[in-house]
Amino acid sequence: MMKNGFFFFIGLLAAFLLGWSSIPLLAHKQLGALTPFYDDGESSSFPTRPPGVAARGQLVYADLGCVACHTQQVRRPDFGSDKARGWGDRQSVARDYIFQGRPQLGESRIGPDLANWGVRKPPLDAAAIAQFLFSGVVSGAKAVSHPPFPFLFDDRPVDGEVAADALVGLAEKTPRRQIVPTERARTLIAYLQSLNNAYEYPEARHVAPAVAKEGAPK
Amino acid sequence: MSSTSTHAEVTAVDTAGRWPVLLLLASGLGWLVISGICALIASIQLHSPTFMSACEWFTHGRVSALAETSFVYGWAANAGLGIALWVLGRLGGSTLRAQNWSMIGTLFWNLGITLGLGGIATGDATSFALLELPRYVQPLLVVAYIAIGISGILAWSGRRTEGTYASHWYAVAALFLFPWLLIAAQTMLLWSPVRGVLQPIIDGWYVQSVFSLWLAPLALAGAYYVVPKITGQALPSYEFAPLAFWTLLFVGTMTGGRHLIGGPVPAWIPTLANAACWMVLFHYIVVTLNLRGALTGGGTSLAFISFGLLAYLAGAVLDAVTSFRGVALVTQFTYFTTAQQQLALYGGISMLLFGSIYFALPRLTGRPWNSGSFVRSHKVLAMVGIFLLVGSLAVAGLIQGTELSNATTTFGEIAGRTRPWLLAVSVAQVLLLIGNILMLVNFLRSVCVLCCSGAASEAGSFRQPTTMEVHAS
Repeated sequence: MMKNGFFFFIGLLAAFLLGWSSIPLLAHKQLGALTPFYDDGESSSFPTRPPGVAARGQLVYADLGCVACHTQQVRRPDFGSDKARGWGDRQSVARDYIFQGRPQLGESRIGPDLANWGVRKPPLDAAAIAQFLFSGVVSGAKAVSHPPFPFLFDDRPVDGEVAADALVGLAEKTPRRQIVPTERARTLIAYLQSLNNAYEYPEARHVAPAVAKEGAPK
Repeated sequence: MSSTSTHAEVTAVDTAGRWPVLLLLASGLGWLVISGICALIASIQLHSPTFMSACEWFTHGRVSALAETSFVYGWAANAGLGIALWVLGRLGGSTLRAQNWSMIGTLFWNLGITLGLGGIATGDATSFALLELPRYVQPLLVVAYIAIGISGILAWSGRRTEGTYASHWYAVAALFLFPWLLIAAQTMLLWSPVRGVLQPIIDGWYVQSVFSLWLAPLALAGAYYVVPKITGQALPSYEFAPLAFWTLLFVGTMTGGRHLIGGPVPAWIPTLANAACWMVLFHYIVVTLNLRGALTGGGTSLAFISFGLLAYLAGAVLDAVTSFRGVALVTQFTYFTTAQQQLALYGGISMLLFGSIYFALPRLTGRPWNSGSFVRSHKVLAMVGIFLLVGSLAVAGLIQGTELSNATTTFGEIAGRTRPWLLAVSVAQVLLLIGNILMLVNFLRSVCVLCCSGAASEAGSFRQPTTMEVHAS
């Protein structure tokens, strides 16, 4: 086989095709046709499609590379501290992501998981998120906990009235200027607020701890 | 140098086919320095988050993507292809054919990388790990790659001897498989994207395949050629080499799912990865046994290759250990994963490539390396740098993982506890950057001498191959 060029190439191709069909194709066969779950009790289906502004915000999230520090996948309650940290009461499942154009699962938790950030406790409103993205400081905290992203904001003179979404707290220092979120910041904030995987699908129900221990590989 | 290898020095195959190889190697080393600068910025941001974050081009996410992309597609691809073409040309026994195709392909490949990196910096990144290059440069990369690869495939099919050698297999596999891989990933992720979590699943497969089907074979092609040349001995346990080769190709790609443990994916994906991680260890053990002559041999090339070989093996063992759920519970999502990646890509692949380049360049130019002290400094800086880089990242990762599982520790506290180790990571990046700049300067000066003084004095040093090694060994 090593000497015969033809068979060697067939072998190479077979290696590629086996790898390709064993993961991408099999997974596609299993998950490619996943549908939303219709809940008779609530007369609606889940997950819901994100509003257009949030879908555009996901593109901002992607192009800034937020995925380098934030995951969006909650592990099961008995596997890690995800639930204890308030990131989500249940494990993330494949169905959560079917309407996301670019799922941002992530591989690094330099910062917290954001899968349910839109319903975090305590909740942050759009103005507080804007303040946070601009300064990198959570309101009330002293130290910078996030890189500030001032490029998502316009620093412009006040022309007539101060914009409704201008950052507060800066007016006293420079009354003639205002800092206003750009379009990208607004979509990013809408996206962050839309992150919510709270609905419990049948496959995502809590497993009783005793059963889970038995099933969990060591 | 043993006397058996001196024969190979007096060959016209190298001189007649040297420009495509030199162009590839020079581009690779250039990208390595650029990647080092980006990696340094990214590592500083880990302990000083405000560093350059006000500049949109250098958010941590973007600069990490720039570092990773220029490292893999800039450095490892160019240097690996250069070594693969050189090895195939030598083993083929005749001057490299289709050299113009290869040169033009290299120029367009690097043009594509340049445009792509600009795209990542300005916000066109795709956000897929290792496939960050924007959509618009992807087709260019496929075409340019095929143009570069033609020389290698022609050298293989037109070889003078019927038999083949391990270097052949690995080099041809890398040249042939990567376009398939890139086209498959582009189609399923960028042109006609699959839905939901299938995207990260397929990206995980692609990332692992880039390593197992492309980068590792490129690096091994050089190592399998250089080690017996220097030691002057047949490779021990060589009868297992074919099986080890096919193990890597068939099983290696299935280990990618280990990053998805506990994630929203079917459980068989990480489970398959766990089994595959242990199976593929056969490949790593055989490669180590085959090339173990490097560990006892002397000289610069073998020092790099020994380091690379041990790192290559250690990386695979760590991958196998962390593919268990119980271990991944701590190491997943932490700097430990970064440490593993750096161990494989920097410690393994890059060190093997360095070793091959230190051996190849004097043969290509017909003279020794310009500066022996630069060579020795690069060796020390690279080895210390990688030790420090991987070690500090691993310790930081273990601290981070332990603290993450304690729900009462805040992220601020975790940042505080990992900070000393992250500072060490930045120091390591500085050492590596200095070392790589030394190598680039040394490389360019060695090649420039060739351009300036012409071919007149080449014959002299060819007849005394031992003098070529004086500085480099």
